[in-house]
Amino acid sequence: MRKVAYYKGCLASLSAKELDSATQALAPKVGLELIELESVTCCGAGDIHEAEPDYYLHLNARILAYAAAEDVDVLLTVCNVCTLNLRQANFMLTGDADLRDRVNENLVSVGVPAYVKNVDVRHLLWEIAEGEGYERLKQAAHRGLKGIKIAPFYGCQILRPSKINGFEDPDRPWSLERIIEACGGEAIDYPAKIKCCGFPIIQAREETALGELIQPIEQAYEAGADAIVTPCPLCHLSLDAWQSKLKKATGRDFKMPILHLSQLVGVAAGLEESELKFKRHVVSVAPVVEKLQI
Amino acid sequence: MMICGSCGMRMDGAAVLACQTRMYDVAQAGHVPVISAMGNLPIVKDLVVDMNPFWEKFKSVDPYLQPGYAEPPDGKEYRIGQQRMNVIHKEALCINCGCCVSECNAMEADPLFTGPQALAKAMRFVGDPRDGNKLARLEKLNGEHGIWECTRCYFCNERCPKGVDPRDAIAKLGAESMHEGIERDMGAKHAKWFVVSAKTTGWLRETELVPKTQGIVSAIKQTRFAIDLARKGKVPPPFPPHVAKDVKESRRLHDLTTERGPQGYMGIVQGERALARLAHGHTGEETLEEIYARPGAFHRPFIADEVPAGADAGMGSLTQADTTPGKEPTKKPEGGA
Repeated sequence: MRKVAYYKGCLASLSAKELDSATQALAPKVGLELIELESVTCCGAGDIHEAEPDYYLHLNARILAYAAAEDVDVLLTVCNVCTLNLRQANFMLTGDADLRDRVNENLVSVGVPAYVKNVDVRHLLWEIAEGEGYERLKQAAHRGLKGIKIAPFYGCQILRPSKINGFEDPDRPWSLERIIEACGGEAIDYPAKIKCCGFPIIQAREETALGELIQPIEQAYEAGADAIVTPCPLCHLSLDAWQSKLKKATGRDFKMPILHLSQLVGVAAGLEESELKFKRHVVSVAPVVEKLQI
Repeated sequence: MMICGSCGMRMDGAAVLACQTRMYDVAQAGHVPVISAMGNLPIVKDLVVDMNPFWEKFKSVDPYLQPGYAEPPDGKEYRIGQQRMNVIHKEALCINCGCCVSECNAMEADPLFTGPQALAKAMRFVGDPRDGNKLARLEKLNGEHGIWECTRCYFCNERCPKGVDPRDAIAKLGAESMHEGIERDMGAKHAKWFVVSAKTTGWLRETELVPKTQGIVSAIKQTRFAIDLARKGKVPPPFPPHVAKDVKESRRLHDLTTERGPQGYMGIVQGERALARLAHGHTGEETLEEIYARPGAFHRPFIADEVPAGADAGMGSLTQADTTPGKEPTKKPEGGA
């Protein structure tokens, strides 16, 4: 077991509680001991970065500092947006001693430990797509996903900008496909898998967002996918909850089930419904569950 | 050296400058080197796209200096230090090639979106200490198809062959707008609610986000949608609020950064020096020198604050349009720089 600090972020704490419970249940099966951070806040989701960038930097520095205080090397995330925001702040701090000194001074003045020892911010996807996590995943996924066609949807902020994320080629990612296949499913390929789901502007510019959202759902549907899997709870929310708005806007009802990464692997690893919490999805996951005869 | 920007096209699916991208490398990587026209622009023929929509958006941001200062007395020149110019050093690198526009996801869904190139160009003037029209520029950029329509897909940052990072330029414009109190757009209200959430409960107050962004009337119109989500537990009850432990620290950090921290775009500029040290594919292990010594590596970009020894760096004024006359006319440093 490897100890990692676990930052679940806003959505997994609130509207996507199913992501948190599936991740907590899955972690020991892939060799991760999660130390959940308590004294942390929202990462700002790109919004605070845009509204008050210096506050964004301090909020993220505070999260990094509390992770480092747990004496771990890795801060584990389960959300694309948290991943990018934390990694970006981390590079800003570790690459500029003067900036780090100023931020640390402020942290200490309000009672937060200074961010001294570095941590690496890594998404769960990266932890289980290679290395020991991947080996354990292969063993854990005993129940498998035989006969299920899964469309991987990466979302943006786990791929781009690659100089901050840098795990895989942002134009030809492979990690989700590798995991789907390790779980015994069939990975569907389609062009929009690396594109935007529209979530950041789904409230401020809904029409534009829906124009983006329809692409992955339509393409996955036409490629015959039984479900889409995504490593990001924000992508999950727009793909899952906004399908009803797509139906209203276009007259097309895709009924495409959307799975969190932890749920997909969790199903293959035999987690219970009480941990997977499929009932919390807006679009029913029942067709997939029936096909697997769970 | 990639200065004209006229050879933008898609190679192997991604917008690149043909002058700096070798098909040989694409083939060596095991891909069929397919070339095609750039996206988001009408195709005239073959690889030729009609750049007129691009230039119309470019013109719409008034891409020229609108000086905001009087002539300095007695024929002297104003001097602007490197610090002030660092604010826009990335945006000033743009060569109008259109690679960012080609891949813009928001523009695919709404062709009227001003787009990454024009907005980065807008930041180049909003952040220019010599420009005197900042507020009017920001007002215009807060329009329906302006900065708040960016969907943060980061394709522009990924594709830009010059390291302009248009998405970061858009964030700078957002930060500066909000610092100047221009907060009427739903995008700005959305962003503001995250700040309020972080300093009051620590976590995003999700359920209140819709009325705070769209207004109460629009929120009521969506009651049915909300009920459907609520049935699945997707609308967490706002009371009692989900409060993070030690949230007072977050509130005090907000007070500190508001009182003493860099404001507006300066909050983003302060991180650029460190982020410039990241090259594509950089994992943090190598030094910049090692990265740029790799075979086929990008040219080393200009890095803020790396002033060549002996150059007259100067110290610029720190407020907008507050340029101070130098004692002597600017001279070329000894030995060149």
